Amino acid sequence: MTTRNLFDFGAQVPDKPAKWEEMTWQEKREARFDRWLNPPDVKFVSSEAEKLYKARVTRFIKAIKLEEPDRVPVMLPTGNSPAYWGGANFRTLMYDYKKGHEIWKKYMKAFGDMDAFNGPGFIPSGKIAEVITSKTQKLPGLGLPENAPMNQFVEGEYMKADEYDLLMLDPSDYNMRVMMPRTSDFFKAFERLPSLRISYGNIWLTAMADPGIRKIFQTLIDMSDEQVKWQMASMEINNYIRSQGYPSLFGGLMAGAPFDHFADALRGTRGIVMDMYRQPEKLHEAMDHQLKLMVETTIKNFPMTQSPVCIMPLHKGDDTFMSDKQFAEFYWPTLRAVFLAMIDEGLVPMPFAEGRYTNRLKQINDTPKSGVVWWFDQTDMAKAKKTIGDICCIVGNVPTSIVMKGTVQQVKDACRKLIEDCAPGGGYILGGGASADTAPMENLQAMMDAAKEYGVY
Amino acid sequence: MFRRPENWAELTPQQRRDIRLERWASGAGIKFDSPETEKGYRARATRLAKAARLEIPDRVPCMVPTGWFPAINAGITLKEAMYNPGKMKRAWLKFVDEYDSDTFDGTIFFQAAVNDFLEAKTMKWPGHGLPDNSHSYQYVEGEYMKAHEYDLFIKDPFDFQLRHLLPRTYGKFEFFADIPSFSSYQGLPQRLMAMCSDPRFIKLARAISKASRAMLEFQKVANETTQAALARGFPMFRGGLAVAPFDVFADNLRGTKGIVMDMYRQPEKIHEAMEFVLPHLLRRAVAMSDMADCPIIMMPLHKGDDTFMSDEQFETFYWPTFRRLLVGMVEEGLIPFPVAEGAYNRRLEVIKDLPRASVIWMFDQTDMANAKKILGDTCCICGNVPVSLAYTGSTREMKEYCRRLIETCAPGGGYILSGGSTFDMAKPENLRAMMEAVEEYGRY
Repeated sequence: MTTRNLFDFGAQVPDKPAKWEEMTWQEKREARFDRWLNPPDVKFVSSEAEKLYKARVTRFIKAIKLEEPDRVPVMLPTGNSPAYWGGANFRTLMYDYKKGHEIWKKYMKAFGDMDAFNGPGFIPSGKIAEVITSKTQKLPGLGLPENAPMNQFVEGEYMKADEYDLLMLDPSDYNMRVMMPRTSDFFKAFERLPSLRISYGNIWLTAMADPGIRKIFQTLIDMSDEQVKWQMASMEINNYIRSQGYPSLFGGLMAGAPFDHFADALRGTRGIVMDMYRQPEKLHEAMDHQLKLMVETTIKNFPMTQSPVCIMPLHKGDDTFMSDKQFAEFYWPTLRAVFLAMIDEGLVPMPFAEGRYTNRLKQINDTPKSGVVWWFDQTDMAKAKKTIGDICCIVGNVPTSIVMKGTVQQVKDACRKLIEDCAPGGGYILGGGASADTAPMENLQAMMDAAKEYGVY
Repeated sequence: MFRRPENWAELTPQQRRDIRLERWASGAGIKFDSPETEKGYRARATRLAKAARLEIPDRVPCMVPTGWFPAINAGITLKEAMYNPGKMKRAWLKFVDEYDSDTFDGTIFFQAAVNDFLEAKTMKWPGHGLPDNSHSYQYVEGEYMKAHEYDLFIKDPFDFQLRHLLPRTYGKFEFFADIPSFSSYQGLPQRLMAMCSDPRFIKLARAISKASRAMLEFQKVANETTQAALARGFPMFRGGLAVAPFDVFADNLRGTKGIVMDMYRQPEKIHEAMEFVLPHLLRRAVAMSDMADCPIIMMPLHKGDDTFMSDEQFETFYWPTFRRLLVGMVEEGLIPFPVAEGAYNRRLEVIKDLPRASVIWMFDQTDMANAKKILGDTCCICGNVPVSLAYTGSTREMKEYCRRLIETCAPGGGYILSGGSTFDMAKPENLRAMMEAVEEYGRY
């Protein structure tokens, strides 16, 4: 459910103020905001860049706190569109880490003002992906056409209906010894790992005496140079972007809803629907278990990061997947608990409600004021503003279709309407409904222009 | 490997025990050196099996508590034996050839080389925290699990072992304290990858690889030694090791100070955690016994003795889960062999609450007359020739002590003559005196 190191746009420094435990959540959040505003690990190229960086971050912080910034901040749905603008694609960047640098640098220069910008996102190393195979992910050239603009998740019933207890008994053990071999041929030999549950003696030695298991670790070690190259490349470009004065909105942990943890990754859509009818108590028990684990191991004492905003892609709770009653019973209670735990740690949960959440608006309005930032995809934004605008900053939702295929005027019109509906009183960030990986630069620029033209407070 | 007959589910615990015991006593699967050694094996094993079942054998069986005595006997140090499996094998087989006993007590199982490679912090051994000429190794107790970690231990045991316990107990594993949790499946391959690209992991992998080669080499030789001893007719009266649930925490995780604090400050957590380990301990014991094809499970006991805790504490914290573990094993046809280190005088009335002839109690400093009186009808007892006597006494004193023990404990069967602890540095003649005593006074 959490992928702490995957979405890591900045160094994590354990530099929490003293007496962290005694601070209120607002104080903790201020400390995190302050670190976002004054990043100790960024060397700005000029005082101008630093000034712009601070102005941009301030704009986001004010919107998050439901205050009025100087103008509506913009989170552009840039995605990996610079790659296509620069004549490359997802697949070329999987293999040529440096090429992304040149293109992204040029793109940034050509684009001009943006409130936030990031290097290539979610593009794994092709060389590593070829060796460490995965049944759950398809990539351009590895299961998808070579020119596919993004990766695809392959849903399946990877966890069996009768394995909830096994999972809860020892989740890490279950992941290592059951899920890994099931979802990747590369990790097949992990089936033979001994249980670490109660280890007397040298269980790792027994494990490493198995040639298959030894080979996995040996290959992982062999691939580590490639991994370091890939990581460094990603860090370098993001450091460069920061030094030019462009912040990243996301910097906290990447997480999801406990329900989705089971619905997306483990049981699949078919499996989870069966469970909702056949063994609802088990599902609840497992979600509570997962929630506690996530709070204890990941959220509590989360280190200081460049930004405290935690992106949380949501899937199976949308209007069409489940009824209001099911949402209230299965989806919301544990998701809300994740929000509260994050808020308590001074983090800013930013759920990304993929699909439509119009029916849900009335059900998600019981969180602390300004604690949560909701990013909507196809939700009715005027309604969202009315229903939760008093307690949550909202983000969205210029349709991806318009950003990708519309005219500049159509984009500007859509933005204007959104700003008129959502901006009054603050608490709004203009954004796309999803990231538009092949969007023309002028359409993204049109969004910036619209914010400056119509979004000044 | 023990295979259950098809009607296993319908058998009573006694029937299961008997199937296991008889198979073990028959020496099935052992390649004996000669028909004589086979006969010797059967005679010894039958003697032990009868005592365990509270029947009367031909004479009182005697388990000479060998310990590391074979090293001294062969003129090598324990250190040499630990680091040189070949030397160990020669020394242990020399002992088998020179001394009579009804059992073969097994080789050294502590793996010094492995612990060197991994930089074990919980043990001291000759050349590593102890003088080169020491005749024992030592466990270093500590608070390896923190007071607030019971929940983690129960809810995510793998994570606890990997990221909390291992870094504290093995130098080479220290860097596991810095790796991200494996408790979420998403992104796990990436996290593993990141872990493996840490230079410290590469060092660890090298150490593990060396250690596992050393372990295999050691195990191979240890196994050959045991096979050779069996082939010469000396049965192993041990199919595995298990410990009491309370001792899992008191010995290995929380340490004496920690566990005492917990008994007052968070008693429910201890109970919860003991409940958690109980089924694992049971499953493990059964698996070990199946693998060894021997129903006897040795259980060294520590923190339940007379001096460590009050009667009330024993009955609250120690006995209930321990008893359930014993009963669970008995139901599977195993014979738990608890070794009550220290004294168990005040415990005798409590521990008698077990099915008849299901357990063998080995006593160290417990009053054996009392033990016979209270437990004699329910279970076989074993022990308690003092180590001090074996090290410093004369052969006459030794024989005399054994005679008195036999007179006290042997009547009616259900007694095995043995030491209170292992005779690592005993006088050779005292080991022989023990066997002489049992031959002279122990015939039924």
